[in-house]
Amino acid sequence: MHILLAEDDLHISVIAKLSLEKLGGFEVTVVHDGEQALAAALTEKFDLVLLDEMMPKMNGLRVCQEYKSQSAHPKPVIFLSAKSQESDLELFRMHGVGFIAKPFDPMLLAKQILDLLSLQGPKVV
Amino acid sequence: MTSIQSRLFVLCSLFVVATMGIGYLANQAFSDLRLRRMHMDISHDISYRLQDLGGIKPSSDEFRKLQGYRAQLWPPRRMEEFSNLLQSLSDGNSRLVKQRHIVVLKNELEFQRFTRQEMIHLEHQVLYFGSISALLLLVGTLSLYYFLRRSVVRPMHDLSRKMVDFLHDRYTYQFSVPAHDEIGQMQSTFNSLAQRVISNMEQLRTLDQAKSDFLSIASHELRTPLTSIKGSLSLMRSGVAGNLDPLAENLLGIAESETDRLIRLINDILDLAKIEARKLPLKREWTSLTDLIQVSLDSLQGLAQQANVKLELHDPAPIEAHIDRDRIQQVLTNFLSNAIKFSPAGAPVTVHCEVTPDNELRIEVRDQGQGISPEDQEMLFQKFRQVTSTKNPLVKGTGLGLAIAKGLVEEHGGLVGVRSVPGEGSVFFFTLVEWKYGRPGRMEVAA
Repeated sequence: MHILLAEDDLHISVIAKLSLEKLGGFEVTVVHDGEQALAAALTEKFDLVLLDEMMPKMNGLRVCQEYKSQSAHPKPVIFLSAKSQESDLELFRMHGVGFIAKPFDPMLLAKQILDLLSLQGPKVV
Repeated sequence: MTSIQSRLFVLCSLFVVATMGIGYLANQAFSDLRLRRMHMDISHDISYRLQDLGGIKPSSDEFRKLQGYRAQLWPPRRMEEFSNLLQSLSDGNSRLVKQRHIVVLKNELEFQRFTRQEMIHLEHQVLYFGSISALLLLVGTLSLYYFLRRSVVRPMHDLSRKMVDFLHDRYTYQFSVPAHDEIGQMQSTFNSLAQRVISNMEQLRTLDQAKSDFLSIASHELRTPLTSIKGSLSLMRSGVAGNLDPLAENLLGIAESETDRLIRLINDILDLAKIEARKLPLKREWTSLTDLIQVSLDSLQGLAQQANVKLELHDPAPIEAHIDRDRIQQVLTNFLSNAIKFSPAGAPVTVHCEVTPDNELRIEVRDQGQGISPEDQEMLFQKFRQVTSTKNPLVKGTGLGLAIAKGLVEEHGGLVGVRSVPGEGSVFFFTLVEWKYGRPGRMEVAA
């Protein structure tokens, strides 16, 4: 599985990439802001888009909306967020497959992603 | 406002009745005067005729005429005199008649004291003053009524309606009466007051928003570096970056557990801030409390086994409560993990459910630990207050757990508390207001 990871914090992106590659066995491409994320998601082939909510230039929700409206076959989107208000979480569930709370546990990250995708069920190709 | 209006109405009605009474009395006085004048006229007429008669017995025609006057005479005393006079006339005793006549005339003069012109003048005066004063009083009363209604009752009503609007957040600054009298001043004072309250409220709202913003930014800014630290540590410990020697792994373990503590602390502070700001929405539903206790006990079995403490639910009668499941579990977990931390090895920690005399449900977590001194009991539920465990000084909490538990239980309408005798263990309890006995049978599934 090839994952696009959009995360502006360099350290967190390194840890997430390492965790997904070493423990989950996925292929990971990292970008560092919203515009890059949208461009990459639209031009390259990924199986999953992992978006940080707070990013420079364009936030995660905007990227997700743009991606879904512009892409012919949008892939599932999962948000990474430190927000914990119920109204925010509802937005994430509405726009994406779900969200992973920050700080995430790198030991569990790959499993959390697979759990969310399996919850989504038949929608995932 | 209604009562002022109704009192005003009653008062004015009384005035109108009084006016009518005065009018009636004036009318009475007027007719009295008129009768007196008529009597005077008749007496004059009689004395005139009697002089004419000059002691001669009157003809039957004259006699009838005189008798005709009788009916018009008033008051009765004079009628009697007149009857006597007639009687003497009919007897034909002219000398007597003359004497009586003089007596009658004397009486008339004493009685009247007024000339005829004066009498008529008096009549007219009574008629004018009586009716004009009655009319004035009537008009005055009615205009007073309308004046008070217009300039007191209406504006007061307006003001009180504005106050009610203000209470219900529908306030506009419009009054139907311009502000130049006392009530107008009151209205404009109320306007300024309302303006000040509203601007203060807006200020508070801004401050509250700033506080929320600060909390959310702080939580994000604090969590981001922690995510990296915690992630690096756990990845390193997992061996992703090569095998570690035991000492390094031990040190990494310390770093990681302290990082966990820091994360817990931040989460607790944010929780508490939300509780204090009343921004923690409770998702309340009827839940099996017995199941919830069992789940909490199960989740702490690991910790209990490490500490060699036995967890028990005493008398598990099926009970349901209207609660936010996750939040009450948070409270239970807090009480239970505290009890485990402070229990000596081999001692049980038990959960009891009791019904208080006020029909509240009381959930108690009892331990047989070292107990808590009365001074410590007082400050236990305050923020950042901790009682150190002599058994395991390395077990550290955030110092916020009980403060959060207190906030959560109070948000449910209940109370938290502690009973403890040093050396004999402690009982931490909380109460729930909305509860009922559940259906039996469900419990067996949970157990």
